[in-house]
Formats: sequence, structure tokens, C-alpha cells
Amino acid sequence: MFLARIEGTVVATAKHPTLDGCRFLIAQRLEADGSAATEPIAVVDWLGAARGATVMISTDGDIARERLGNNTPARMVVVGIVDSVQSPAGGVA
Amino acid sequence: MRLGIVRGHLTLTPAVDSYRGKTLVVVEPVTMENLRAKNGKGGGKALIAVDELGAATGQMVAFTEGREASNPFWPTPVPVDAYCSLIVDSIDVSQ
Repeated sequence: MFLARIEGTVVATAKHPTLDGCRFLIAQRLEADGSAATEPIAVVDWLGAARGATVMISTDGDIARERLGNNTPARMVVVGIVDSVQSPAGGVA
Repeated sequence: MRLGIVRGHLTLTPAVDSYRGKTLVVVEPVTMENLRAKNGKGGGKALIAVDELGAATGQMVAFTEGREASNPFWPTPVPVDAYCSLIVDSIDVSQ
């Protein structure tokens, strides 16, 4: 699991059939010092994360397989929206 | 899933049986900077992904990596570690 910041939304018509109806967001992984990764990722969101929100993402496909079927390629899923992070260094969130 | 731009297609002859009939694309991952700039550039290290959606050269796709990339072929075990899950129509990112 890791923290990421929601940066935007994705619209996609052509997709794997198991992904029909899923909400996809663009996120950037956050490092401990609060800096963001260079490459964006597309994640499945069932919680309604807003743009700018810090979320926790799981890269385990189990929850996606449970909800979307055994043959789904979905992997990165928003598993929680972060309220706060207690960290002496400041940084994330 | 990471985002990438399709840069070409490839064929394998010969290939292991699991790849028979599968379309392979060369994908160049896109950095956040290039995604915001919408300049058609990638910037990441190119990789090969299986594509069943018919993505054309120049289109942006989101691809799954790792074990989940072979899920679409479940329960057949296949040596696939990148799979095009969706073709991007549009992306709305804050500048």
C-alpha cells in the first residue's frame, strides 16, 4: 500500500469488459517527504475520492477480483481516503 | 495501472503457444509532466503489453502490470506481465 494524491479523471470507452462502470482516477504516488512520483497511475475508485485528496492505494488485485470477477486486470484500488498522517517530518498529506 | 502511448505493434515467430493469436504493442509510459502538457510525448522506459482492445499507434492506454496482467486469461496460465486494460479517450488533470 502507498499514499497518492488524486490529480484528475480518466474517460475510457474501450476497456476490459470487467471494468465497465468503474471510476478511474489519475493519481501520483507520494514519497515520505511529500514529493510526488514522476509517473502518474490510473486507479479504480469506489469511495468517491475528490481531486487533490490524499488516498491510500493497494496494489493487490484481490478486492478487484472479488468485486469484478476472477478475470479482471484491475489491480490498483483506492482503499481509503486519508484524514491525516502523523509524521514528525511533515511531508505527506 | 500506468499510462502509456502505443508506439507500435510486434509479431513473434516463433513464440510460446500461449502467445498464439495475441496482439502485442510497444508502449512508452507517460510522465506526469508530459501528461499535463498533452504534448504526445512519453518519457518512460518502453515495454511490451498484450492488447485485446485494438489500440492504434499514438493512442494512450492504461496497462496493468504484474500478476494481475494475466488475470484476463484466467484460469489458463500465461506468461503475460503487462496488459492493456483500457484505451484512454480523455484525461482531465489539473495544470
